[in-house]
Amino acid sequence: MTPILYMIRKEFLQVFRTREMMAILFVAPLVQVLVMGFAITNEVKHITLIIADQDNSVLSREITDAFTHTDRFNVVGYERDMARVGEAIHAWQAQMALVIPPGFGRDIRRGSRPQLQVIVDGLDGNSAGVALGYAGAILQERARQVGRQMPAALSLRNLHRVELQERMWYNLNLNNAQYMVPGIVVVLLTVISLILASIGLVREKEIGTLEQLLVTPLKKYQLLLGKLIPFLILSFIELGIVLKAAQWIFAIEMQGSYLLLAGLSAIYLFSTLGLGIFVSTITGSQQQAMFVSWFFMLLMIMLSGLFIPIENMPPLLQKVTYLNPMRYFMSIIRDIFQKGAAARHLLQDVIPLAGFGLLIFIFSVLKFQKRAA
Amino acid sequence: MNSQPVSVQTEGLTRRFGKFTAVDRVSITVNQGEIFGFLGANGAGKTTMIRMLCGLLKPSEGKGSVAGFDVYRQSEEIKKHIGYMSQKFSLYDDLTITENIEFYGGIYGLSREAIRHRREQLLEQTGLQDASRKMTRDLPLGFKQRLALGCALLHDPPVIFLDEPTSGVDPEARRSFWDLIYQTADNGKTVFVTTHFMDEAEYCHRVSIMRAGQLIALDTPGNLKKQYQQRSMQEVFVALVEAG
Ligand SMILES: Nc1ncnc2c1ncn2[C@@H]1O[C@H](COP(=O)(O)OP(=O)(O)O)[C@@H](O)[C@H]1O
Ligand SMILES: [Mg+2]
Repeated sequence: MTPILYMIRKEFLQVFRTREMMAILFVAPLVQVLVMGFAITNEVKHITLIIADQDNSVLSREITDAFTHTDRFNVVGYERDMARVGEAIHAWQAQMALVIPPGFGRDIRRGSRPQLQVIVDGLDGNSAGVALGYAGAILQERARQVGRQMPAALSLRNLHRVELQERMWYNLNLNNAQYMVPGIVVVLLTVISLILASIGLVREKEIGTLEQLLVTPLKKYQLLLGKLIPFLILSFIELGIVLKAAQWIFAIEMQGSYLLLAGLSAIYLFSTLGLGIFVSTITGSQQQAMFVSWFFMLLMIMLSGLFIPIENMPPLLQKVTYLNPMRYFMSIIRDIFQKGAAARHLLQDVIPLAGFGLLIFIFSVLKFQKRAA
Repeated sequence: MNSQPVSVQTEGLTRRFGKFTAVDRVSITVNQGEIFGFLGANGAGKTTMIRMLCGLLKPSEGKGSVAGFDVYRQSEEIKKHIGYMSQKFSLYDDLTITENIEFYGGIYGLSREAIRHRREQLLEQTGLQDASRKMTRDLPLGFKQRLALGCALLHDPPVIFLDEPTSGVDPEARRSFWDLIYQTADNGKTVFVTTHFMDEAEYCHRVSIMRAGQLIALDTPGNLKKQYQQRSMQEVFVALVEAG
């Protein structure tokens, strides 16, 4: 056996012997995927809605009825004054307002293009998106019915107008989990690999065994590989378990290749394990390492597009997301899951992912020194 | 094994942390087979000195060689020829005694055969044959320290550095640890040991005393006692440290 194999054996012995470690590795992620999965994907119901029907036509009343007769929305008031509508949203009395301007019904029958306004409180971006999706669906349904009563040429235009919204509620109306859960899997994979690597190294620093390893002839690459290979393997097991569980519980369909997903996950893990090494070099205790790791993770998650769509971020922040390896992997995993994308279609994400992985890894390995300067 | 009679040599070895000088121009020569004591109060710079010699810390200035290898350029070469027991207990508490021995043997690149042989030897030496499957954390500290010394000697290095190896254990356990140190030196190995127990200083062939990073005395315990007209190393130490 080479020294690396002895390192790997020792790491596995320790992991499987430590009950807390087993819990962190195998129980916590399942709980997290369940909790986060349900919390995030749970259908948004009873969205508080204010209706400002300034038109008061047959059509506007039909629309109002449609919003009233669904448990998606909970109509909390009718208001004509726009200032009051704004106040209600500010005061959190309503999450959404539907404004039907005067002449709306008349205009639509004439075939012109009237505006209808939906105001959403965007504080909870996810719910806001879902709410918009529902509103879009209801309005589209209405438009279809109106369309049937109209000459074809006009109805097409009107239909088109409403269906512009289609992108907004893509995948939100039926199975939000299909979209969110793969993202959560990415988060869990990141958490586990980053924490394992940083804590795994810092723990040895803290108890003093790292110094003992540094004073052996073990080469730096042997030491790091001996630590990281077990973490890589564990991260993969983790990925498998969480994916399978998520698929089973949330009935998510996997359109793409598992092999491709595994390969690209390995590339992604270069970034997170590398970051873990880096964290271990700048911290001296497990607590510090935990803290710094969480900081990096929050930053990565926030800038990944999981909770806040990247298009909704301020332009500067959007640019910052290009520095985030998780952003690319998030997009890759969604494309593989939902579109069954093949490797060649993912290149625009894979290339930066691999680039950052390599960069972070090399930088961290160089920063990790066998001898203090 | 190294044929040079000189095992550790430094000349003006210095280490600064920022503006603070932890080890200040220390020059020593330690011969093969010698038990060399390194004395000093907490913070005197003993650990810093050892860490420079072991290749864990880059010196700021001065010269140094260990087992014939230069501390600046050949630190990885040095690591093959030394054993080191840090002042923190450095075996894995959550591995069994056998697993610890096999692990350290393995990362020093010993063959399976050699590991098995050394393991049996070490278990016998430390009287732990019957406890070999025990978790290391369940051992009394005295046994742990003897085991740690054994692990640091698995690859048969000509020089061994022990940083306060006996802190925290009772006099009985300290005595049996020193028995091991004598055995090690009798096998021709150089033992470089730091301590703040002055009675242990009496067991060393030569001792050096450090204060605030500087070497303030270096001789045999007998000569030091004569020179300072004291009856014990304890008194020599008090006289020297109070003089400063
Ligand atoms: N990495 C470090 N950074 C800054 N100061 C240090 C570092 N290591 C040791 N020191 C300082 O150097 C001095 C000597 O420490 P040390 O060699 O550990 O003493 P001893 O082992 O004799 O108790 C102490 O004042 C300590 O605070
Ligand atoms: Mg010390």
